Amino acid sequence: MPLGSVLFAFVVGALICLVTGANPVDAYSGLLCGGIGIACAQGENSALQISNTIVFLTPLITTGVAVALPFRAGLFNIGAEGQLIAGAIACTAIGVKFSGLPSPILLPMVLLGGMAAGALWAGIAGVLKATVGAHEVVTTIMLNYVAQWLLRYLIIGGPLQLREGTSTSLPIGHGARLPTLLPSDNSLIIFGLPASVYRVHTGLLIALAAAAIFAFLLWRTSFGYEIRAVGQSQKAARYAGISVRRTIILTMLIAGAFAGLAGAIQVAGVDHNLTDMYFSDTTGFDAIAVALLGLGSAVGIVVASLLFGALHAGGSIMQSDAGISSNLVLVLQALILFSIAANFVGAIRRGLPFGRASAELPPELPPAAGLMSEAAVPPPEPT
Amino acid sequence: MGHKRLRFVGLIAVAIVLVVACGSSGGGTPAKTFKIGLVTDTGGLNDKSFNHLADVGLEKAKTDFKIQGDVKESKTGADYIPNLTDFASKNYDLVIGVGFLMQQAVGTVSGTFPNIHFAIIDGAGTDANGVDLKHSNVVSLFFKEQDAGAMVGAMAGWLEKNGKSKKNQHVIGAVGGVSIPPVNHYIAGYKWAAKMEDPSIKVLVGYSNNFNDPAKCKSVAKAQIDQQADIVFQVAGGCGLGALQQAGQSGVYSIGVDADQKDADPSVIASALKKVDVATYTAIHNVVQGQFQGGALTFSIANEGAGYAVDNFDLPADLKAELDKVQGQIKSGALTPPADIPA
Repeated sequence: MPLGSVLFAFVVGALICLVTGANPVDAYSGLLCGGIGIACAQGENSALQISNTIVFLTPLITTGVAVALPFRAGLFNIGAEGQLIAGAIACTAIGVKFSGLPSPILLPMVLLGGMAAGALWAGIAGVLKATVGAHEVVTTIMLNYVAQWLLRYLIIGGPLQLREGTSTSLPIGHGARLPTLLPSDNSLIIFGLPASVYRVHTGLLIALAAAAIFAFLLWRTSFGYEIRAVGQSQKAARYAGISVRRTIILTMLIAGAFAGLAGAIQVAGVDHNLTDMYFSDTTGFDAIAVALLGLGSAVGIVVASLLFGALHAGGSIMQSDAGISSNLVLVLQALILFSIAANFVGAIRRGLPFGRASAELPPELPPAAGLMSEAAVPPPEPT
Repeated sequence: MGHKRLRFVGLIAVAIVLVVACGSSGGGTPAKTFKIGLVTDTGGLNDKSFNHLADVGLEKAKTDFKIQGDVKESKTGADYIPNLTDFASKNYDLVIGVGFLMQQAVGTVSGTFPNIHFAIIDGAGTDANGVDLKHSNVVSLFFKEQDAGAMVGAMAGWLEKNGKSKKNQHVIGAVGGVSIPPVNHYIAGYKWAAKMEDPSIKVLVGYSNNFNDPAKCKSVAKAQIDQQADIVFQVAGGCGLGALQQAGQSGVYSIGVDADQKDADPSVIASALKKVDVATYTAIHNVVQGQFQGGALTFSIANEGAGYAVDNFDLPADLKAELDKVQGQIKSGALTPPADIPA
């Protein structure tokens, strides 16, 4: 199904190219080159393209997990972006405040600080959902805005601002930075370019570990079982003695920690300070598509992150090589989402009482379970 | 069934790869063509401001010098470094970054590629602390904002002196974003020229401490209009659009900044211009002529890099003559607008 969605999007994208007078072959060769370093027409460095794609996909993996985990519990976390920003803010604040500390102390501090801030941000939505039944879609969207404007305040006129008139924060200390996988040395030539152009950093390994932890948590722990049970049916879960409230709050806390980790990794591994780029950042929203496309599984999320990272990185090569607006990439992403959504319609219809029984839904369709959770407001639990 | 479908998908994939591979093995160009790369900031090419003007300059250079000019629009701030790096890694003859938001990225990438030439509009190649790294392969394209400010200041002063404004109380205003040099240069030229035209004029200067929120500039403009100002000059980017709107709502005149803001509000009678297209074109011209030099190039009225545009307003002939005179004197050096706001 996801492969079909992607193919559909690319075929329609090619048609759009043709209609707008562009050459789809040029477009897709640019996209392939920028995305995965093959079919480069104008002397692009393949290793550099792959490195850029990995830098883009790293935060997508952890935020993808942050969306997929609540899906399993029947919760729709639209707030990964806000949680990511909260994590980035905490990471920067700690990394600036304690910039003198050595790396073995400071690096865990900034990463855990980012996770805690993300968890707090998502936890607000989780507690509101579990206690007063406020719908998490609404609360997490609103918390995105709060996080963005909080960031705006902090770096424009607020305590983290570098200097009057700037819209960046102070840089974090060297001890707070994640090392790059290749030495950051201009005199060292790797694959024909100075080594410092390859920005791939150890955050990739952290993100992959996070995906593995997600899979372990979901399938190998009793809490993971509780999450899935709540996602399938809150009533049945409650009947089985599972505390739905506790599960919802904990799920959101953990999801927020994953998203916050993404923000911390981004600051510690790539940016080293907060900039106004977060005003236009869409990682947390792309993560929703990543989680859907990856069918909520760890491997699927990594593969879908690769696709979205490649699309992002490929867009600019497509524009400069083929002269096609990089907006086509946004169209492709939208088309992929669109065709996933179209499949959703089928899945939901099958789940309705007059269609096929929902029990016949294959278990690897958790997003549908997320959208189909019948009770937005959990009834009070008998305790 | 399943296998068949898989095989079909596989065939399509192979076919696509083949087509792409064939498509990419195109013929090369015979003579040395200069390659210029332009990286926009997140505003994109349709920002009606710096990015758009930089592209205009690039397009003109493409026609005049038969160069290859390629553009990358940055979707997010995370794209700056990869976009600049890609052009640099392909040995482009000049890589242009638009706007001070890209300072740090230009600083980083120009350090990695010391043999590639970079140009940055309205900024320099800096480190994370905003300190100019002074790389010899980077040229900063700066503007004498006071020249552009002086032209619209002369226009405002003349209108007040000759009773051609809305209230004619000899009061005009300027709404700045933050009190930083580029903003104050504009205001300095504006105030200086207005006083030159109309010695009895009072110039109100206020700051919104913001470049993004129109509401803040709106309230600063409102306060000035309440003090009888009937021409408001905005020097606050996106925030300043609020000042233009307030002028429109209060029925007074306003003046735009940086790019031609004729369409922002009907009250806009003129705009003070930074001619980013001229700056971009000049930087490319220098590279094509083999005259690239690191450091800074400053664009002013003298080299056609700054100026003004008359917008939703019928310019009286005698005002036109006056403005031509002032512009000529600034150009010849007979008049020098100050960089600091006069008392």
